[in-house]
Amino acid sequence: MSDSSLGTPSPEQVKAQIGRRFPGGTFTVEPWRAWLVADVVLDEPGGEVAHPLFVWLAATGATGLTWDDLFGWFGARASDGPMFGEHETTVHRPLRVGGVYQVSGEITSAERKVGRSAGPFDVVGYQLELYDEADGAHVATCWNSIVFPRRS
Amino acid sequence: MDVAVGAELPEWHVPSVSAEKMKTTAALLADPNPIHFDAEAVRALGMGDRPVNQGPLNMGYVMNMLAAWSGGHDRLRRLRVRFLGNVFAGDQLRAGGVVTAVREENGDRLADCEVFLTVVGGEPVLKGTATVALAPATEETR
Repeated sequence: MSDSSLGTPSPEQVKAQIGRRFPGGTFTVEPWRAWLVADVVLDEPGGEVAHPLFVWLAATGATGLTWDDLFGWFGARASDGPMFGEHETTVHRPLRVGGVYQVSGEITSAERKVGRSAGPFDVVGYQLELYDEADGAHVATCWNSIVFPRRS
Repeated sequence: MDVAVGAELPEWHVPSVSAEKMKTTAALLADPNPIHFDAEAVRALGMGDRPVNQGPLNMGYVMNMLAAWSGGHDRLRRLRVRFLGNVFAGDQLRAGGVVTAVREENGDRLADCEVFLTVVGGEPVLKGTATVALAPATEETR
């Protein structure tokens, strides 16, 4: 329903996105990427265990959507200033450098709120699951919330 | 690993947040938001004149703190964080936490913790909770 050409969606339109599934995809923890991620996060590059930041990187990198696509589901675009709200990484088995992971997930919550100073905003939650392509094991869950400011 | 409720986790420090690493991160994440690499864009938004660090990097520093304390990144079971504020290039940071519970689950000894990331001389920019697996006694004596 929503795309950025429609302007601010109604609270009902926002709520209607709950359950909408991401196209999904696969993510490979390439050794070069593992090295660079360790470097930028001030960790020691090397080793077989990928930095746990890869749960977020793999999940959000293989939703099958661009960020602008996802924002468009809620009638927003990057220039509207969507913000990270909260994040939760749950690791069932550490990700491996060289591992290939299948990602699937959906919108789990979407609600219009009104802040005393911030005015109206939408809080959207989405959850992504990671499966190791080598054996199908469910290795991690990545839950996030995005805050969409709404101009009153 | 001998851990008691109330124990403080050893702090992990970032001496100075690097604008150059933000540029690499923007490329790695395919994140087009210019506030992470273009100081002019930050100025235009009235956010000062220093690039803004990516939220995932702030989260990663807390993961590093937990790994340094618990024995490795493979110890992390769960991390939940709330982003409270921005970190800017040049900021000095400290990550830390405190143990809130020690328990057993499916044969693993786990520590639940409250965690934070704070700008030195400023406000907390991230708060949350974490669970890490503690090294069993047999592993420590190997």
